[in-house]
Amino acid sequence: MSVSAPRGWRAARVTPLGELHTPPRMTAALLRLTVQVVLVASLWRGLYAATGTTAGLTRDQAVTYAVLAVLATRIRELDQYSGRDTVQQHMHFGTIVYWYLRPLPPQRYYALRALGEQVYGLAWASAGYLICLAAGVVDPPTSAAVAGVFALSVLLGQWVQYYVMLVIDQLCFWTLRNGAAIMILIFAQNLLSGVYAPLWFFPDWFITLSRLLPFQATLSVPLSLYVGRIPVSDAAPELALQAAWVVALALFTRLLWRRAARRVISQGG
Amino acid sequence: MKGVNRVNSSATVNGRSSSAGVNGSIQVRGLSRTFHTTVRRPGFTGALKSLVSPERVAKQAVSDVTFDVAPGELLALLGPNGAGKSTTIKMLTGILTPTAGEARVAGVVPYEERERNARNIGAVFGQRTQLWWDLPVRESFAILRDIYEVPAAEHRARLGEFDELLDLSSFWDTRVRHLSLGQRVRCDLAAALLHDPPVVFLDEPTIGMDVVVKEQVRGFLKHQVEERGRTVLLTTHDMTEVGRLAERVVLINHGRLILDGTLDEIRRTFGSTWQVRATLADPHTPVEPLPGIALLRREGPQMVFGPDGEEAPTVHQALKRIIERYEVSDVALDEADLEDVMRAAYVQAGAV
Repeated sequence: MSVSAPRGWRAARVTPLGELHTPPRMTAALLRLTVQVVLVASLWRGLYAATGTTAGLTRDQAVTYAVLAVLATRIRELDQYSGRDTVQQHMHFGTIVYWYLRPLPPQRYYALRALGEQVYGLAWASAGYLICLAAGVVDPPTSAAVAGVFALSVLLGQWVQYYVMLVIDQLCFWTLRNGAAIMILIFAQNLLSGVYAPLWFFPDWFITLSRLLPFQATLSVPLSLYVGRIPVSDAAPELALQAAWVVALALFTRLLWRRAARRVISQGG
Repeated sequence: MKGVNRVNSSATVNGRSSSAGVNGSIQVRGLSRTFHTTVRRPGFTGALKSLVSPERVAKQAVSDVTFDVAPGELLALLGPNGAGKSTTIKMLTGILTPTAGEARVAGVVPYEERERNARNIGAVFGQRTQLWWDLPVRESFAILRDIYEVPAAEHRARLGEFDELLDLSSFWDTRVRHLSLGQRVRCDLAAALLHDPPVVFLDEPTIGMDVVVKEQVRGFLKHQVEERGRTVLLTTHDMTEVGRLAERVVLINHGRLILDGTLDEIRRTFGSTWQVRATLADPHTPVEPLPGIALLRREGPQMVFGPDGEEAPTVHQALKRIIERYEVSDVALDEADLEDVMRAAYVQAGAV
């Protein structure tokens, strides 16, 4: 361990290591990704069979968007449940007390763990991306500038995503359970961030609604930049909006952490 | 009922002091905790009423509790279910703030300086594990080592010591989800002590474990107190454990401290706890009561003696006096076990 490594850095290994110790989970993830990539690529190719451009998007742009969205799920939804390590499970089993019994603030533990999950997920998504690129399923970025802006936007998008998931987890400190909230969130998030279908296919009121919420900033913006739906020249306001969501959610979740701690110490875990 | 409150002591720790010489004393002064809960009214109408105008009630979980634990001492905090033991421990570990009173653990007010307190304490809460379910045990230890910033050599040495006492190496490469309860609790004990805390809180650590593992855990705790000088606050319902480990107990019920004293004091306070059956060599010897010892009955040549009043001696002192006074050909001791004594204590304490 290097001297400069932050205290508690091993918390970053918790979820990835749990998965590496369970090969069937990795096989299932690999199988799921493969099937989904093949299906969405076939679906969008089928949809474009009769037309060249729909909603301002070419076939290759649509396929690239959809496949990248599938690969991104690997960064967005890592399995903490099997490892009994969700906040809800810690509340249920009463083990949340240990988060408050260590000389590492719970928020730092949570952030380190999430960082590990996202880096691990990113490794998977990147491998999948390279395979898809080599197989010609997705198009490469049109320029180095697009690639750079896309990378920055992915980083900001994941940051927003982290905070959104954190808010849902923090809910548990008041409601004990967040199963229903998570189901609603995952559906809304996938819909509003463009996982199911690019947002341009939806009516205007839906796009407006989506802009008022943070979900679009998580995935739709970076993927739109990648496929060229948002040109690099228009990237600045989009990136600024993503950064604004990061700041707003950082402040909000900080407030919630403080209230959650007060709740734990008033209820005794 | 009046117990014997000990004055805070800065007694020398037996053997090596743990955690860089931090004084591992615990001081509790007038500690109280009230919880506010919503009462649900019975029936359908009641449930609707409770939705519209919930009835809030205050429950005093711990009330004006005062005691001290000296560095290197093992204190058993006893009481029936719901007595306030766990609430007290939670306040001392810093995860619950008291409504009134004050506590200091190794010189730190735990609920005011949670992180500083966390470095001085280790805790095991019954069957709640702090280990990572999906990871091999050693990986959990490594994460904790990193969180507590324990130097690698120190970590290795301590793991070696714990392995000798708890036989961890036979399963520490197994994932936590595959461990038996006894294996898991042993790992949890090790995990709680890996950063060498001077103070350890154990809330029913041996619940549900088999006798062999219980004995192993008791040996481990004894070693930690006697050889490592750790201060241990233990709650348990297992009276064998109390008898084996604790010299002193604090008894609480309905959130109030009922008694603070030694096991002998508890035995004396809560009723008849022994009988000496002595068969006299000469059955015609006139028998009279001895100081603090009553002659309960005669059964032929056998005299049955029992304790008399508050000044009654212990069973061994009584036996000595009886043998010195009379010529006996046979003698038998009946001592009520600690379980019976505590049952009497809980019943009497409940009536207070």
